[in-house]
Amino acid sequence: MQCGDVSETIRFMSKVTLKWKGMTISGRFINEIGDYVIIKLDNGYNMSFRKSSVEILEVLEPPVERNNNNHKSSHKNESGGVVIIGTGGTIASYVDYKTGAVKPLKNFQEALFNTDELEALGNIEDEILFNIFSEDMDPEHWIEMARKAFEKIKSGRAVVFAHGTDTMSFSASAVSFMIENNHLPVIFTGSQRSSDRPSSDAYFNLKGAIKLAATTDVGDISVVMHSDISDDFLSIHRGVRVRKMHTSRRDAFKSINDNELGRIDHMLNVKLNDNYRRINREKDMILRDKFERKVSLIYYYPGIDKDVFLEQVEKSKGVIIAGTGLGHIKNDLVSELSQYKDDKIIGITSQCLYGSVNLNVYSTGRNMLSAGLVPLKDMLPEVAYVKLGFLLGNFQFQKARELLNVDLRGEISDRRTN
Amino acid sequence: MRYLTDAQTNVKIGLEIHFQLKGEKLFCKCTTEGGDQKFGSFWRKLRAVSGEASMVDKAAVQEMSKEREFHYDITDNSCLVEFDEEPPHIPSEENINASIKAALLLNCKIVDAIDFMRKIVIDGSNTSGFQRTAIVGINGYFQHGNKRIGISTVCLEEEASRKIDERENKIFYSLDRLGIPLIEVSTSPDISSPQEAKEVARNLGMLIRRIGKIQRDVDSIRQDLNISINGGNRVEIKGVQSLSAIEVVLENEIKRQKSLVEISQILKQRGFNQGDYKIEFLDITYEAGKWNSNIIRKSIEQGNKIFIFRLPKLKGLLKNGNYRLGRELADRLRVIGIGGMMHSDELPAYGITENNIVWIRQILNLKEDDAFGIITMPESKLSSVRNSIEERLEQALEGVPAETRAAVGDETRFMRPLPGSSRMYPETDVPLITISDEQLERNIKDLPKSVEERILELESLGIPKQEAMVSLDLGTDEIIEGIVKKYGNPTVSSSFINKVKPKEKDLERLEILFRMLSQGKIPKEALDELYQNPEKIQERIASGDETVAMENRIREIVRSRKNLILERGDNAFKPIMGEVMKEMRGKLDGQIISKIVREEIDKIIHEK
Repeated sequence: MQCGDVSETIRFMSKVTLKWKGMTISGRFINEIGDYVIIKLDNGYNMSFRKSSVEILEVLEPPVERNNNNHKSSHKNESGGVVIIGTGGTIASYVDYKTGAVKPLKNFQEALFNTDELEALGNIEDEILFNIFSEDMDPEHWIEMARKAFEKIKSGRAVVFAHGTDTMSFSASAVSFMIENNHLPVIFTGSQRSSDRPSSDAYFNLKGAIKLAATTDVGDISVVMHSDISDDFLSIHRGVRVRKMHTSRRDAFKSINDNELGRIDHMLNVKLNDNYRRINREKDMILRDKFERKVSLIYYYPGIDKDVFLEQVEKSKGVIIAGTGLGHIKNDLVSELSQYKDDKIIGITSQCLYGSVNLNVYSTGRNMLSAGLVPLKDMLPEVAYVKLGFLLGNFQFQKARELLNVDLRGEISDRRTN
Repeated sequence: MRYLTDAQTNVKIGLEIHFQLKGEKLFCKCTTEGGDQKFGSFWRKLRAVSGEASMVDKAAVQEMSKEREFHYDITDNSCLVEFDEEPPHIPSEENINASIKAALLLNCKIVDAIDFMRKIVIDGSNTSGFQRTAIVGINGYFQHGNKRIGISTVCLEEEASRKIDERENKIFYSLDRLGIPLIEVSTSPDISSPQEAKEVARNLGMLIRRIGKIQRDVDSIRQDLNISINGGNRVEIKGVQSLSAIEVVLENEIKRQKSLVEISQILKQRGFNQGDYKIEFLDITYEAGKWNSNIIRKSIEQGNKIFIFRLPKLKGLLKNGNYRLGRELADRLRVIGIGGMMHSDELPAYGITENNIVWIRQILNLKEDDAFGIITMPESKLSSVRNSIEERLEQALEGVPAETRAAVGDETRFMRPLPGSSRMYPETDVPLITISDEQLERNIKDLPKSVEERILELESLGIPKQEAMVSLDLGTDEIIEGIVKKYGNPTVSSSFINKVKPKEKDLERLEILFRMLSQGKIPKEALDELYQNPEKIQERIASGDETVAMENRIREIVRSRKNLILERGDNAFKPIMGEVMKEMRGKLDGQIISKIVREEIDKIIHEK
């Protein structure tokens, strides 16, 4: 048989014999990529053959089914315990060897842990909410996540979200704002190395997150990830204060303008600091699940085009600007922005990330204040964006403006020690 | 030769030889050199994961069962890629081409595209938990004298970390070596004796080094060996560090395998069967505490318990001449962290008396050809110890188990079960690297000359054949060639350069010395001293026309013996030469001295 669109006719892992450079080679069919056919040899190596250089002589056996015997059914539907909600990303996916693509795990806690470990982790339920890369997350997904967490807490379960790392801090912020006074912990975690690698950080991160959710009264919707590049500690970050600060390191997540809420050591001992919010079941738990999509986050830079900039502001109901230094943007933009004083909310954050915005120091800043721009203190730009979308979705305009620079979930502080 | 070929044994040996490439690491921009500076460290745990077929590899599981911590030293030649904190970069064309050339030299078919795989290795030597490896060529051969040794694959892969230390459950590595490109050549099991294995390894090494870029350090080439005999499975031996070790390690391994085949035959005669390798432990901690054995008492103090167990039909097979099944069992326990096993073939010893033995034999109700074991361990290890012993006993019936063993001194010790193909899965972070026909052609055109051709070439420069061969082995051939082409003296230069094995930094000094030698400014006898003490070369150069002064001095000495010359004529040469040499030895070439002395004597005779 000539080698055309072989994946149409040959199934994954079929045993094939082919002729190449005068030799006969046998192995299992994996897939085709462009002009190449990929065969897994008996020694485990994959070998790729240019279609034009190979002739398929024989397809011998039906494919070997994927062996799933280590996947047992999960402990389901008892009250109490923790529910792990998969949303996608590296932590809840595996590499599909057929296509080379990253695919979701169907039952990921049991694909990740062996029976002894599951036993030790206690009562765990497993649910896949959706399976998307974190860069594909939209406010609609945040809303679904908040609703799901709310529902699970109502039924008595603490929540661990397994999430892609790229936009995990956005999701954690959104859920933080949407659920007020959660009665059980909600913890986000992810992994920087996929769980199909022996060195993956997924296991430790997930175990730590489960431990935190199951055994503590941490009310802050938090992110649990590696503290450094060793496997010795996990850091607990307040969801509205955390930021991914590295593209690839496992300790990419850092608390900004805030101290960590605590740490978890490699024996899974949790040590909390004093600065976390205790869960309080005396007060009602409230869900506010709307979000205003017409909100922009604009990164100011020298040379920014006034027309392009104003067009985006014009189309938005609310804007967060990441300004330079203490929060500045150039003066001729300030005078233009003053026209929106009464019908748009424009908040100012700093692209320095560390430290607080202060518009009282320089004349530019004072001009910005008189133009009606709202200085957002030490709130992170992305958090401010999520907060503004949340406020405009759930509150009247004036109320939203008022709340924007009021601390709701620990996202703002007036005192910094470093 | 201690080794005797035994047709019935039918020894089959395959080699896996690794060559480190010089220059850039395989998956990052770090250099393969350096690494002496340390910048802190980090530690990790690793765990076994599913392969493509969702089967966790057996060898990987064993490593994981040890729950070990791996500590890594960060070096000046390591970066986030080695820390497993950044995805691999695409390998350089230079490294790819070197591997293609190696495969071509071994008459392999070159793949259409290089497809990197992850080979699970969770002993910590790779921070990622896998080694990246790809086939570059397959189905080649190496001509060894009249014999063709098949080459099953030539792979391009990354070197592992360098192990520094091991304590308790911690292993310490340096990242300096991690990621250095390796060319791995695997032969078919066509080699039939340890001696042949050594020769093939040596000659194959000489050929591959023709590529250039290969590291020359002793430490940079490692051999793994595959060996099987009739009646046994394939055993892989890791980390044989030198050519000379290949032979002796293999000889000892053949002895071990033969004894295991014999043991399996004896076991069959004794009717050893499935029921016999079920182990039952008896806790005798209370009784053993009363014994006079320090080892046992100490172990109890440490919180261990003492267990005895029957080893049916194994008497005289555990430790008796070549039969060492006891060590095989102990090795399996060692890798799960249990050190304390004794058995009846080695008792009485360790303070365990004849009386204790009689008591044990009674209480276990042992028959004549039964043996027993004593083990000290925490009770928690009971089931894993039982599994390990039972597994090894079952294999005893089959003869030689398929294992990965480590070369330790002249012998081999069990490391782990032979890894299966399920430990391989695709490296999705590195795209398929296609090899175009043009790239292949370029490499074919660029191929170095064969060893034979190269030796002829060197011989044509006057370099003795023996030195030419040594130079190819050492990789000094190009240096010698350069020096000889410029300054002649092929015999002296080749033997000297092969002796001192100069490194890159030594080349300038070497060049100065041979220039001075060719100008007659220094004698060949002075080469060694000047090479070892570079400051003396400067003195020589600074002293300017010292040779003229020396020549004058020689003529002066000769003239001072004018009477002797007039008396004895030409026969005066020998005593005068002796006198001159006393003063001049090592300062000027002997031949030059003798020429001046001869000239001056002739002059005096003719003056008469």
